[in-house]
Amino acid sequence: MDSKVLLLMCLPAVAFFVVFNYAPLPGIWIAFTNFNYRDGIFGSPFVGLQNFEFLIRSGQLWLLTRNTILYNLAFIVLGNILQISLAIMLNEIRMKYFKKVAQTLMFLPYFISVVLIGVIAFNLLNYDTGALNALIVQTGGDPIKIYSIAGAWPFIIVLVHLWQSTGYGSIVYFAAIMGIDKSLFEAAAIDGASAWQRIRYIILPSLKPTFIILLLFSLGGIMHGNFGLFWNLVGNNATLYQTTDIIETAVYRMVMSQNNFTTSTAVGLYQSIFGFTLVMLANWFVRRMNKDYALF
Amino acid sequence: MHSSETAAPAAVEVAAVVTGERSSPLQTRPRTIKLSTGDYVLRGISYVTVSLFALFCALPFVLIISASLSSESAVVRDGFGLLPRGFTLTAYEYIFKAPRQIIGSYVVTVTMTTVGTAIGLFVIAMTGFALYRKDFRFRNYISFFIYFTTLFSAGLAPTFLWVARDLGLRGSYLAVFLQLLMTPWLIILMKNFMRTVPYEIIESGKVDGAGDFRIFSQLTLPMMKPALATIGLFLALGYWNEWYLSSLYLGSSVEFKPLQYHLYNLINTANALRNSVAGSNVSITDLPSNTLKMASAVVATGPILLLYPFVQKYFVTGITVGAVKG
Amino acid sequence: MRRRTVKAAAAVAAFGMSVAALAACSGGGDGGGGGEGGAPTEITMLVLGDKPTNGRLEAMLEQLNERLIEQANATLDLYYIEWADWQTQYNVQLLSGDDNVDLITTATDWLFAWENAEKGAFLPLSPEMLQEFAPQTWEQVDSEGHWEVTKLDDGEIYFIPEDNFTQWTNHGFFYRGDWATQAGFPDGEITEFEDFTTYFQWVKDNVPDAYPWDVAGANEAALTGYLQGHTDLQTLQQVSAGNYYPFHTSESDPDTVTSWYMEGDELLEAAELAQEWNEMGVWREDALNYDGDTREQLYAGLSGVDQHHTQTFTGGVYDNLSTKQPGSDPRFFYWGQENGNYFRDILTHGAMAVSANSSNPEKALEVYELIRNDEECYRLLNFGIEGTDYIVTDDGFLDFPEGYDSSTDSLGANFWGGRMDEFELPRVTDAPNKQELFDQLDADAKDYPYSTLLINKDPIDPILAAMGSVFSEYIPQLQYGKFADPEAAIAEMRQKLLDAGYEDALASVQADLDAWAQNQG
Repeated sequence: MDSKVLLLMCLPAVAFFVVFNYAPLPGIWIAFTNFNYRDGIFGSPFVGLQNFEFLIRSGQLWLLTRNTILYNLAFIVLGNILQISLAIMLNEIRMKYFKKVAQTLMFLPYFISVVLIGVIAFNLLNYDTGALNALIVQTGGDPIKIYSIAGAWPFIIVLVHLWQSTGYGSIVYFAAIMGIDKSLFEAAAIDGASAWQRIRYIILPSLKPTFIILLLFSLGGIMHGNFGLFWNLVGNNATLYQTTDIIETAVYRMVMSQNNFTTSTAVGLYQSIFGFTLVMLANWFVRRMNKDYALF
Repeated sequence: MHSSETAAPAAVEVAAVVTGERSSPLQTRPRTIKLSTGDYVLRGISYVTVSLFALFCALPFVLIISASLSSESAVVRDGFGLLPRGFTLTAYEYIFKAPRQIIGSYVVTVTMTTVGTAIGLFVIAMTGFALYRKDFRFRNYISFFIYFTTLFSAGLAPTFLWVARDLGLRGSYLAVFLQLLMTPWLIILMKNFMRTVPYEIIESGKVDGAGDFRIFSQLTLPMMKPALATIGLFLALGYWNEWYLSSLYLGSSVEFKPLQYHLYNLINTANALRNSVAGSNVSITDLPSNTLKMASAVVATGPILLLYPFVQKYFVTGITVGAVKG
Repeated sequence: MRRRTVKAAAAVAAFGMSVAALAACSGGGDGGGGGEGGAPTEITMLVLGDKPTNGRLEAMLEQLNERLIEQANATLDLYYIEWADWQTQYNVQLLSGDDNVDLITTATDWLFAWENAEKGAFLPLSPEMLQEFAPQTWEQVDSEGHWEVTKLDDGEIYFIPEDNFTQWTNHGFFYRGDWATQAGFPDGEITEFEDFTTYFQWVKDNVPDAYPWDVAGANEAALTGYLQGHTDLQTLQQVSAGNYYPFHTSESDPDTVTSWYMEGDELLEAAELAQEWNEMGVWREDALNYDGDTREQLYAGLSGVDQHHTQTFTGGVYDNLSTKQPGSDPRFFYWGQENGNYFRDILTHGAMAVSANSSNPEKALEVYELIRNDEECYRLLNFGIEGTDYIVTDDGFLDFPEGYDSSTDSLGANFWGGRMDEFELPRVTDAPNKQELFDQLDADAKDYPYSTLLINKDPIDPILAAMGSVFSEYIPQLQYGKFADPEAAIAEMRQKLLDAGYEDALASVQADLDAWAQNQG
């Protein structure tokens, strides 16, 4: 079979990734050097694993890796459940303007920069002037020192993340539902299928490929934390680090006053190798279950 | 058995009105005519939940709008409220103080967004189509080649050195524009969306002697509107929200910064000055820092929000896909 | 269809222009090369700050360039590293190795001068080169022996210090004399760090709207203020771990490296004082997460204290606070005031380097020579055009013309790498007691003894980063008195620092200090 035209059609994208992603890859070498401008990436002195050493020395590698992964798992699992539910419910909405307005509103959080989210959260939650505590005091309760309670923050952070990403993320699922052959629904209605059966046997199966791809992409990034979100919500508040510190924030604090391009590359490499291993395993697993859904 | 399904023109009209579709009656089939109790329950739950969630999403934005219209001192003293405290337009005046700058920023961002989305969408669709073709020998290799880039990236310094120095793109809008053209995720998503196109269409195209590119552009593409709308929307949002690449590659070397970067600078300057040791050399001007942050969020968000209802109609048009197959 | 064509055309035009602009940029450095008579050479100077858009900078540069062309056949252009993310921006600019920048503003204490010199971003400046192209600068710096503070261990000069410009960047509290008087301090003068407890308590009791000290985010002030005044330890400014400076020497034993985080009881005393203040409600419960503008709070009478350095006090806070809170009688208490344990400014708080990639380093030096030593150039670059950007009052003060609004009309040339006391003018907004304060500071201040000390951080970088992580966990909580048992917390922190490799880092720094001391003789 002749694939020449199809190959040509892939060419622009392949060229794009070669130029912007593969070409700079050898530069990862910088993670093993004591980089200087004079000698460039490949001329600078080789220092082996020294740039990775600080992660181990800080004694926090395990805590940080654990926190990063747990947060991402929560984001993936809860995020997908909410996005799918929301997409299904949106599909039930029949009033055109209602739908448009609702969807537009759900997009809003995506546009609010995390800097502002941090500001708003502080305004709602702080002890002295926070709106939440004002409410508690008004109703006769004692104000809560939320910024000192480490246990509360996983919930707050997950909630904020879901608030910010659910509307945006549900678009993919909504579009997938829109792509379902309508005759399936009609046939189901004629067969007297219940609403639940319609969801269970038509909608959910058709979302499966999308879900799996989303999952594989999220797994690839499971070691990468959302720095902006965590930094703006928690910042320098060390009381909360036990439950809120992720790789990105910890590394930022360790090296932020130094112009350390080598350490950041080293940390990135650690995250990549970890994520890569995980994805290869997951893909292998998916492939065994259903070849069609595998990424590659 | 199929009696209730028979297309009655009246029912078509009703369905079209109810769903707000803009499709021709000939293509649209009537929807389920009778709803079960379960359907009503589900629908009821949907309306309630969606309303609540939408409000939940909108509430902070209301705070932002009201804060952006409040006086700085009132916000500092009393925090945010649902209604502006000490109504003033100072923050907006500050942003629009140099209207040339902000208009220039809008032009840059709108241009990048429209051109980038158009080009990116085309390339992504083309690639997605090729990767979807089961008869394409290299589909797995290329899929992996593309996906792999999400796992390993060179990191800030090597990428920067390559793009800025070797490609010579520092200080050029192209550095930002090109890097946002596509992502592996959107290509794979596109390939995935292609599944809704029945494979017989491609087969029939081949039988008619059409080339692969013609099958793509004339048979497949028109059926892909929901996918194109979704991915186009993501691309557009990517361009619109971009500030990080701009800060690395453009800095102060372009006259007009992309919108988000311009605003990012506005809101971060006050913070940076206050927290930096450099403060020794600088006098801090009286920035309305809190309200300014809020106003810049409003200015940056407003226009792109108008895009969504416009795109949304393509999601609805997608319903006709099934009709062709039937 | 037509609309699309228009859009596409606009895009093509926009990108075409940017490509053309880029080409123009990179082509700029070709001419010149020191040859007089040809087209003037354009020299670009990297400065920090937001690029002004009010047109005043361009007007000034036009006049300045007339003079520069006449004197050196060169013109000056400014390249701005803007305040948002300036640390990253600055280092990324040097990383890029662009040849479009010739002169680079730098500093050893806040702009990574040593790191960048070591990494090869700056051109080594030979004495011959300096003598030929910047003779006056060479003469003046050399006569005071100040080139020594700009050399790496290869003996090369890497930048030119701003060594003839007096500034005081030692930190302290700005407080209100009127409140201090009412709190019972004679003449409203607070002279001991602990005495602020009394002042804070008075504010707490008598000004219900105000925080005694509204402070935002992590800073070490509550600890360093105490430590500096109660020990004779002096911070080694060359080594940082994250945001903290972990090593010290003492005045009595300047050859032995120690750390106030590891040794002695003063850290615990400081932490206990902080705990007392926290329980009093001196600051917001959530001060660590608060990021409000505390200086504005001070001006609004909502905070009893704000914390920064002398320059900020004399150059702005005094004027603003006395205007916005009439009768407030602004005062300044500086760390180490009790025992004279503070330093004069280092000579490289501002400096100018020549880029290693500059195509016209000689010309760059010639231009620098003029903007530093030629009064006409100096005034243009630093003050602007007389009459529009500034005026000189009859008694010789620098003032602004009628209708000048400093928030929109400032020049913003930000030349911080070669200002000269002799060309500076007193400003009308200066604190009236500025000279008095400077004299007082000068009387007790110590010179930083380690200006020429070089510390090789490569082998201890991982340890420093790990220590930085420990500090970032404990110091913010100690500083705001958040530990129920500070003694246990400090013991825990010290153990973690040991685990991170503190002893090794200490030994390495000590070795460098020994070698340096030996060289000094």
